[in-house]
Amino acid sequence: MAAKVLLIDDDSDFRIAVKTLLEGQGYEVLEASSGHAGLELLLQHKPDAVLVDIMMETTVEGYGITHALKHRDEYAEFRNIPVFMVSSINQSPDERFPMSPEAEMIRPDWYLTKPLDSSALLRLLERAIGTSKGLVA
Amino acid sequence: LSGTTEVAPPETVVVIDDDYAMRLSCGKILAKMGLRAESFDSGARGLEGVAILKPDMVVVDLKMPGMSGMEVISRVHELDPQIVVVVITGYATIDTAVEAMKCGAYDFLPKPFSADELRLIVNRSLERRRLVRETQRHEIERAMLTRRFVTFVAHQLRTPLVAVHQYLDVMQRVEQSPAKQHEWLVRCLTRIEELQDLISDWLTLARVESGALLRERVEVDLNRIVRDLLGTYQQIAAGQGVSLESSFPEDGLRVCGDRNCLLVLFDNLITNAIKYNKRGGKVTVTGTFSAGEAVVEVADQGIGIPEKYRPYLFEEFFRVPEERSIAASGAGLGLHIAKRIVSEMGGSIGVESEVGVGSVFRVRLPGAGGETGAEIHAEAHSDCR
Repeated sequence: MAAKVLLIDDDSDFRIAVKTLLEGQGYEVLEASSGHAGLELLLQHKPDAVLVDIMMETTVEGYGITHALKHRDEYAEFRNIPVFMVSSINQSPDERFPMSPEAEMIRPDWYLTKPLDSSALLRLLERAIGTSKGLVA
Repeated sequence: LSGTTEVAPPETVVVIDDDYAMRLSCGKILAKMGLRAESFDSGARGLEGVAILKPDMVVVDLKMPGMSGMEVISRVHELDPQIVVVVITGYATIDTAVEAMKCGAYDFLPKPFSADELRLIVNRSLERRRLVRETQRHEIERAMLTRRFVTFVAHQLRTPLVAVHQYLDVMQRVEQSPAKQHEWLVRCLTRIEELQDLISDWLTLARVESGALLRERVEVDLNRIVRDLLGTYQQIAAGQGVSLESSFPEDGLRVCGDRNCLLVLFDNLITNAIKYNKRGGKVTVTGTFSAGEAVVEVADQGIGIPEKYRPYLFEEFFRVPEERSIAASGAGLGLHIAKRIVSEMGGSIGVESEVGVGSVFRVRLPGAGGETGAEIHAEAHSDCR
């Protein structure tokens, strides 16, 4: 069965491009244009990896999702899903919230900058999904 | 963090003097001034007090047994360089005063001194302390704002670029039908146009903000501006099933200002009215002269603006969330620029709106003083855009 990737980004062009790339590699891609819609899809479809933009409608949406997945009890069963946080601004949570416990709370598994390097993304996804499935099994 | 309401605590002054009578009288005067005063009888104990109390000001006697007043000054400033220190000296020679200042004292008080003299110097010292803190706070705030703005701008500029980059990158790797390739190229071009518009908007805003508008004032007929704009957008509007109408006084509607800025102003209002209209809707631009003012209304029959968003409508980068689904492009600068242009010209802009019915943007500008038919100057030299 094809691995499922949930893509959460408010820029439809970015989603189209990345979706095409991933589908070309045999992934099934779910799309959401907001954090809220993303969490709903997540509960319904249990994807194998999540790619989420940081700066959407509100600047914290991407962080909110990561926090939900990694720390909130309602999402406990998704804790091992690898989360890729994506932003066009080269600022990891550690840089954005220096010396703050918040950085720890919202640290994704991977932090990537836009535009995404296609080869690097595919390599990372394959590895991350492989590892997380290995852990779950 | 406790969640209680924060009440500004009284400012604290630490008095360090080995003379009991001096400590007592200083303490009384300071307390009467509404300050929190704490006294210590030696330099060493005084420093401990300073470390714990974190006072705003220290009054210290220069001549004490044990640690000298001079040493106290530098040790206080090791703890916090912002604490204002005033020295009390019994042998007020210029030399000791200068030395104390060199050590970082703000001022000195020669013995004997009156209650008034103490009050005066304390007030002046605390005032200085407040100023320093205020300046510091402003600097920090400004630095934060600048950083936030720079981050935001970088994000705004990068978003369309990233989309184009991602498309091209994927096109290079994934084999696609010519039709798909064409579709993607069109999308790339749209995003590049978005970037171009954003940059022009910013430049316009920068020019409006620099006050270029005040330098270039010619008499401009708003009727002509609106007519030209409606002509330009006729086809685009028709493509969206929107019709355009205007009604102006027969002899025009004249204001004094920069023609290009006025063009930008009404361009922004009219394109919004088209973009957020409904199919089959109408855009009506009405110009009237009322009480010395040129009043132009741009009305649409579109989605309307929910009341809760109206206060933010003219703010930089604000976009009504519901609009995003209608038109992807737009940086949220159009109405902000409109407002800046109008206020630079001494006018005002407002909006009335009903959700699902439409919005009316009303611009009021000072009229061009009634001399109808006045010569219209060359309009080509404007530097607004």
